[in-house]
Amino acid sequence: MKPVTIFTSCFLLISTVSVLADSTKVDALLAKKNAQAEKPIAVAKGIDDLTFLRRASVDVIGRIPTAAEVAEFQKWPVAERRSKLVEKLLADPRYADRWTVFFSDILRIRSNATGGNAFLAYLHQGLKQNRAWDKMSREMLSANGSSGKVPAVGLILGEEVDAMAMAAATSQMFLGVRMQCAQCHNHPFDVWKQKQFYELATYFGKTRRIENQFSRRVYTTEGSETTVLWPPERKKPPVRNPVAPKFPFELEEFTSVPQYVKRFEAKRAEEALAANGANEGKSLSALLDDVDPNAAFDKERGFGKSVAQEAKAATQALDIEGDLYRQSLQRTELAEKVTSPYNRYFARNLVNRMWAELIGRGFYEPVDDFQDIVTHREALDHLSDEFVAGGYDIKGLIRMIMLTEAYSRGHLDPEIPLAERNVAEENFAAATSRRMVSEVLYDSIVVAGHLTDFKWPAGANVRTFTERIRVVDGVVEGGPATAGPGDSPNMAPNMMARPMGGSGYDLEGQIALNFDELLKSELEKDLASMKMMSDAELQRQQQMAAMAQQNTTGPRRKYKYVEIERKVDDNPRFSSTMRMATPAPPAHFLRVFGQPARDSLANFREHNPSMRQQLMMLNGKATHEAARVGPMEPMHTLLGGDKQDITAAIELAYMEILTRKPDLEELKFAREIVGTGKPALDGMADLRWALLNSNEFRYIP
Amino acid sequence: MLGLSSATLLGMPIAQMMARAGETQQAKAENVILFWNGGGMSHIDTWDPKPGRPVAGEFDPINTSADGIQISSIFPKLAKQMHHATLIRSIAGTNGAHGRASYQLQTSYNQSGNLVHPGIGSIVTHEKERLGDLPAFITISGNARRAGYLGQRCEAYYVGRPGEKDPYLAFPAGITQLRGNKRLDILAKMNVRNARNLSADQAKAVNTATEEAVNLMRSPALKAFELNGEDPKTVARYGDTEFGRGALLARRLVETGVRFVQVNRGGFDTHNNNFPAMQNHGDVMDPALASLVEDLAASGQLEKTMVIVLSEFGRTPRINNNAGRDHHARCFSCFMAGGGIKGGQVIGKSDEDAMLPAERPVNPNDLHASICHALGIDHSREVETPLGRPMRLISEGAKPVLELFG
Repeated sequence: MKPVTIFTSCFLLISTVSVLADSTKVDALLAKKNAQAEKPIAVAKGIDDLTFLRRASVDVIGRIPTAAEVAEFQKWPVAERRSKLVEKLLADPRYADRWTVFFSDILRIRSNATGGNAFLAYLHQGLKQNRAWDKMSREMLSANGSSGKVPAVGLILGEEVDAMAMAAATSQMFLGVRMQCAQCHNHPFDVWKQKQFYELATYFGKTRRIENQFSRRVYTTEGSETTVLWPPERKKPPVRNPVAPKFPFELEEFTSVPQYVKRFEAKRAEEALAANGANEGKSLSALLDDVDPNAAFDKERGFGKSVAQEAKAATQALDIEGDLYRQSLQRTELAEKVTSPYNRYFARNLVNRMWAELIGRGFYEPVDDFQDIVTHREALDHLSDEFVAGGYDIKGLIRMIMLTEAYSRGHLDPEIPLAERNVAEENFAAATSRRMVSEVLYDSIVVAGHLTDFKWPAGANVRTFTERIRVVDGVVEGGPATAGPGDSPNMAPNMMARPMGGSGYDLEGQIALNFDELLKSELEKDLASMKMMSDAELQRQQQMAAMAQQNTTGPRRKYKYVEIERKVDDNPRFSSTMRMATPAPPAHFLRVFGQPARDSLANFREHNPSMRQQLMMLNGKATHEAARVGPMEPMHTLLGGDKQDITAAIELAYMEILTRKPDLEELKFAREIVGTGKPALDGMADLRWALLNSNEFRYIP
Repeated sequence: MLGLSSATLLGMPIAQMMARAGETQQAKAENVILFWNGGGMSHIDTWDPKPGRPVAGEFDPINTSADGIQISSIFPKLAKQMHHATLIRSIAGTNGAHGRASYQLQTSYNQSGNLVHPGIGSIVTHEKERLGDLPAFITISGNARRAGYLGQRCEAYYVGRPGEKDPYLAFPAGITQLRGNKRLDILAKMNVRNARNLSADQAKAVNTATEEAVNLMRSPALKAFELNGEDPKTVARYGDTEFGRGALLARRLVETGVRFVQVNRGGFDTHNNNFPAMQNHGDVMDPALASLVEDLAASGQLEKTMVIVLSEFGRTPRINNNAGRDHHARCFSCFMAGGGIKGGQVIGKSDEDAMLPAERPVNPNDLHASICHALGIDHSREVETPLGRPMRLISEGAKPVLELFG
């Protein structure tokens, strides 16, 4: 064995042990607080290893485990299974995909906002490299430039470079405080005053959004005067004066440097020594070059290549000219204050959001509205201090939470009275029920149904679809020349290509086709809505239009609809939804299951069941195809021929879909469903369809 | 002081009292069909022709079935139905950019960073009870505005291609009714057993959603979605286009109890070659709108159904060097009929070049207040956002255009 290997594994062991100590401390602090309750709080039993595997896989990599992963997990020694699993999952490429979804919600990333896709790629890259949260936050808060050079500028571009919007975003996204009510008035219930909001906003008051009229390249730079004036305009004051910046949040004060800050500083000093700074300051384009484009398409992860290429094309298009931007000293100063280890709000905000995501509820709720009412203050403070001391290590934080007993609690027996269950859940003594987020639900259906790769031979699913298309039907006599719009409803339907072989299941897909289409049309829309043109630009456009007209001179066409038949080999293969342009179009599966539009702050995911969700699950393409048994999946041999073994097939179905074995009663019921036909394919499809639609599948165990 | 007291009575503005009084007597409408024309539809080339002026463009005005009212020649069939309709020719818009203007014309609010305001369809869905099995709010060939703070319940049901089968409303191909029902049965039994990882409330909510879904799948009302049962002559009469099918579907849906149908179409951003483009639009829209109004009137449904043809703004009277017209928000028009609206009239008047309102300016939010008024909804009612902020259904200052209702 090589010495290097020994060193690495020792190091890993030590770090896991110290994390375990922190996690144990969290449990002790929770228990200490719970012991003070007047009435004893019911405590749920811990979950078994398979349940842990399912819960952890769903949480870290955003899908349920495969049968192969179950088998691998079960081979590991019992004592270290769980910590080993957490390490494995955190190292999985899907980790960055899954948590990009989480951070995109917080930062309200929209692919169709200016710089949106570059910002998305920046975030994904940061998570992949496990960059420190304070460093990324500082970049996002202080960046000026174009999204091609400085993709972190996507945050302020997404807020329309509006000082007021940025003040609200800064406090809500990074500090967990809602100040936006104070934009218009002194809020009756909040401590924040309108003047304080203005003082925060003015940090952003000198930043300007510039759009080059010819290249349409958008960037931000720093002006000399703040746009934030006091008193507010609506009071119609005779004079309004520039507001001086002042950070409204108090930083912690100590007589001596606290231990966790010392550890933080030591860690940063160590990192500074180790780092050669190779990746710091690279443009997005260079970062994307580091990605092997051939490796980027992945059976399971899908169209990473497409995202990377689109993002690159978009950013390079914006990068035609060099940048002319100035850094913002004020915003740099603000970013330092926001991310200071002495600013308790900053670490606490992410800790609480992460805790809520993994455990089901935060120490305070809503997670972006800290009001100093905290259920378990010591535990939250401890987690926050450790997050700071560890150098704002996001994976470290996830690890710390997942190794607590609180994370491994089961659900209380449904027989226990609701009030008692609620108390236990509120105090983290029992698991709160959580539904998979929409992307995770979709990807889990796909992996459970062996749809990441073809499970049918070519030609096995040839279908004929009838489609109505528009064709030219002669010309209008004496009509003027036109390339007119005819009957094309150039709105949303065009954003959804017809990926499913014309079968009409547009709302569940599809991903690469849809992505290109969507990105293109959104870019064009953006451009159209930004038309503030110079004379030169107008002239240029007119020339282009004249040229276009020459090319289309001819009689005006008439159109008619005809029905055509198309034969398609509808062999299903689905991709991950985590790398789609985001958010998906309205009415898409992801949106129906709660993906937020992210068009305002505090636009949270909704988890309520709805009729539309049920229609998409009961009748949708993904569940239907996942349920059908393909000849190329392991299940197939168990259902027919010499090796038919219905019991084994049922057990496999339960393992692949619910990550557990059926009990005797379930096995009996399942045998009735599957039947004894040779092969028993339809019966198995019915069983799998029901398992995929069951509540147990959709809610995290 | 005197002025103030004369404008209010018992602390309530007189206009508001009149509106209130009107509501009880005049709430005739039960359904709405909104035709949303994205891109900014030229008002001069549709509802407000200016013959003899340099801005007139290429279309001659034509006489209509309403005395003294002329519209553009791109609508020859609709011209024969104008005795059912009112035109408003003095909408005074304030937003000249597509995004902001479509937001305002569909929600009554100006876009703000902090809040997502619901579209008018969601507002109606929120305020009026559902009739029948079908969803209360359906959007065709595109997306309506979102429900915002009114919540998911008030979102529109999306129909991508009118007249084609919606695959989500039936078991997948290859799954017979018998087998599908068997599957539902298996699922119900499974869900009774496995209730541990979700609360009783959640399980109940999933069950309710499933029941609603299955009821809809089994509802005879679903026939309304499918046009293959419709007489091919009728389909042809509406113009066999996506828009025509959308209009026909809209009629069938309101007849089946759907409260609010929005039919979307774009292509009106005619910066270049405005006239051939508008002629094309006319060819598509004219048979559809004319047949819809005619059929609704013949069946008596028009009395209960308000039909609105609206866009985010109009287009410049001045014709640009590309034979196009640019964005023009300060004065534009819309078409309204049914639901208690008095036919054969024009409200408001634009100046000689349709540049600015000359008489009776109508604010965008007055249109939304008018829709509410027709349905008997108090447009000034406040609802609370999930954050507890009170919001008026329709933005402040909105006044129903009472002349619409004669």
